[in-house]
Amino acid sequence: MGPARVLRRSSPLTIVVGVVLCITIFVFLLSPSTADTAASKERSAKAASNPLSPPTSPFRKQSEKANGKRTPPPVVHYKMNNVTSTADPVGNRETVLILTPLARFYQDYWDNLLKLTFPHELITLAFIIPKNREGNSATAALQEQITKTQKLGPEKNRFASIIIERQDFDPPLSSQSEAERHKMENQKARRAAMSKARNSLLFTTLGPSTSWVLWLDSDIVETPPTLIQDLASHNKEIIVPNCFQRFIDTKTKKWDERAYDFNSWQDSEEALKLGAEMGPDDILLEGYAGMATYRTLMAYMYKEGADIRQTVPLDGVGGTALLVKAEVHRDGAMFPPFSFYHLIETEGFAKMAKRLGWRATGLPNYKVYHYNE
Amino acid sequence: MLPRHHAKSDAYSNGYPRAKEKNTYSISPHRFQPRASPPALRRRRQLLIRLALILGIALFAFFVWPGASILPLLSFGFISSGEEFQLETVRYYDLSNVQGTARGWEREERILLCAPLRDAESHLRMFFAHLHNFTYPHHLIDLAFLVSDSKDRTLPLLSELLEDLQADEDPKMPYGEISIIEKDFGQKVNQDVESRHGFAAQASRRKLMAQARNWLLSAALRPYHSWVYWRDVDVETAPFTILEDLMRHNKDVIVPNVWRPLPDWLGGEQPYDLNSWQESETALALADTLDEDAVIVEGYAEYATWRPHLAYLRDPYGDPDMEMDIDGVGGVSILAKAKVFRSGVHFPAFSFEKHAETEGFGKMAKRMQYSVVGLPHYTIWHLYEPSVDDIRHMEEMEDERKAREKEEQEKMDRMKKIKDQFADPNSQWEKDKTDIQNEAMKEKKAKEKDQTSTSKDTEAMQAPAENTDMKSETKVEAKPETKESKAATEKE
Repeated sequence: MGPARVLRRSSPLTIVVGVVLCITIFVFLLSPSTADTAASKERSAKAASNPLSPPTSPFRKQSEKANGKRTPPPVVHYKMNNVTSTADPVGNRETVLILTPLARFYQDYWDNLLKLTFPHELITLAFIIPKNREGNSATAALQEQITKTQKLGPEKNRFASIIIERQDFDPPLSSQSEAERHKMENQKARRAAMSKARNSLLFTTLGPSTSWVLWLDSDIVETPPTLIQDLASHNKEIIVPNCFQRFIDTKTKKWDERAYDFNSWQDSEEALKLGAEMGPDDILLEGYAGMATYRTLMAYMYKEGADIRQTVPLDGVGGTALLVKAEVHRDGAMFPPFSFYHLIETEGFAKMAKRLGWRATGLPNYKVYHYNE
Repeated sequence: MLPRHHAKSDAYSNGYPRAKEKNTYSISPHRFQPRASPPALRRRRQLLIRLALILGIALFAFFVWPGASILPLLSFGFISSGEEFQLETVRYYDLSNVQGTARGWEREERILLCAPLRDAESHLRMFFAHLHNFTYPHHLIDLAFLVSDSKDRTLPLLSELLEDLQADEDPKMPYGEISIIEKDFGQKVNQDVESRHGFAAQASRRKLMAQARNWLLSAALRPYHSWVYWRDVDVETAPFTILEDLMRHNKDVIVPNVWRPLPDWLGGEQPYDLNSWQESETALALADTLDEDAVIVEGYAEYATWRPHLAYLRDPYGDPDMEMDIDGVGGVSILAKAKVFRSGVHFPAFSFEKHAETEGFGKMAKRMQYSVVGLPHYTIWHLYEPSVDDIRHMEEMEDERKAREKEEQEKMDRMKKIKDQFADPNSQWEKDKTDIQNEAMKEKKAKEKDQTSTSKDTEAMQAPAENTDMKSETKVEAKPETKESKAATEKE
């Protein structure tokens, strides 16, 4: 007891240690955070000051106001002459908005998103989810994954911002099963509702700084990780890869793949003739035996081993995966929820874009994969 | 430090306070005995002082060090160590909360006010006067401006006025989110009144306008908006309560009647916005004959559509709440539910059912089964900008007026000259008359009254001069009357 006491009282050692500790703590506190990389600097530079800002950028949480007064939001200038969409989006730091109408949440979809090599600090994700039971569970699953990525995950995986919207109208069908969804008589109502959902999502999230819009359906579970760069490198206003589906062949019991999306096509005389005979509100549909349009479908243009950079002009596009220059949408090209030249949704979009002077392009040998139910 | 080891002489080691009497006898069994020798104690103290000094200097260095701030120290580094703690990256919106209702101000529904601008410097101050006066809660209104292809000071003046607005002392004055969007489309059409309203330029001009509107809307519409209000900056007179007035009708798309005041010689007032109309059979038949890219524009003799126009149905004493279903809408002042725009209705920059811009917007909204309504007896007033014809006419009138004045002046000058050159026979005659009278008086009365007669003489000299002045004045007054009656007959 005696020596211990002496040590505590007299030895300057403890004090020196204490002082050193103090200084290290101060140094630690004052040193800039270790995560201060270029990317995170860009993130914080882009952050807006209030939650009313364009949702494509994060915002700073407002601290409690002094004396409860509202501080009016600042006047913000957006120089849209400087918003470009070029063949080199990474080099030019162009932002991409990934839009997904979400009916069901697939883990594979999210994992595939995380694998994209396009700098995540340039990507904003936006989802629109119906307000029904299925939608609620999809929202819960999505939010769980978002928390994992945005709060706990490594910084390079985090996206610039994420927007979740709940749809303000009910989907026309109670069931989202594949068989029910694809019944011909249900198609028009289903695709009109889908168009409205797409438009709602698009026009509320586009904002003033987006360069590219990537439409990616929630059931696209596999794409090349360089999807955005590859599609953008063609520098086309509207570009669509070929959407396939992997399945197990019941005969050979082996994995095989088949064409899935039939909405990307080149028009035919027969289809135009069919359209001319229709009533103004009727629509032409692809992939149904009762309606032979004889259009040239991109799904069947795929050739194994052919050049993946081969392009074809298209008159109708599918929306499973679709890269669009933001200016096309800004000019007003949207997904008509009504019969527009007897076309609807994504096919109507291609037609409307054409009326505005924009052209659609397809990549028949560049594949993305749809979930198989 | 605990007081246990204090070596102060007046301290008590056992912790019990002694009685105050000084002379109390005490054996004090717990007598304090210092453990260390006095020099050791001193050394330790010196060391402590030195260490404290070093620490102080180190802290001082940190505080004053260039670039180091005190803030991280005070906040313990937790909040500010990385900005990602402060950054919110996830936003959640339920669109069913922003449907738009008849009494939006009670439910705190946000309005997006869109104003496309091009060379609008001269109208901005008037527009901001309107902004100051809106009765809808300002913090619920977000402003979005698109400044395109402007050659005047629109942009600097706009930002200056907006900064002032947001910095206003009155807490009810500042608005919500404010975006100024700068985008040039490469203006191909001249913007002066004449070329703007010329028939040939209409289709391409309106497609460009539509493009500008779409860019503005798509950049500024947010998931939290319930309403979108389109307003031209050149509205001169509008009720302060216009937002509430239009909202109360709870329609998907609603427009007031737009007239403009005119100078008196043109009739005092005139219907201005002819783009709000009901579809007619004639127009539909006409549309079928036109090619795919043609655009029907209202108000030109080239397309006789025989449509009922909202503007012509105005009764100044009519019920301002009366509604009328319309198919095409004018863009001067449109209030629409945000869900209309969300679902994809926009201003077609192509020929949509043979219409473009706001008329195409009305058509597209109808196509999607939204209600499109006009208020024929609720009027706002567009600024009167004289057309080239009007200006010519006004110049002619001005010249005419000047010529007439000149003529007057010449006439008067002539009269004056005549008066100056020739002695006024009147006064001579008066003089003679008085002379004769005087003579007569002289004859009648005594000779002493000679002096009074001379003063009378001078008075008589002044009177006729005044008389002529009065005459010329009435002449000048009479002229404008004839001018007006002439203009009135011209009008008719």
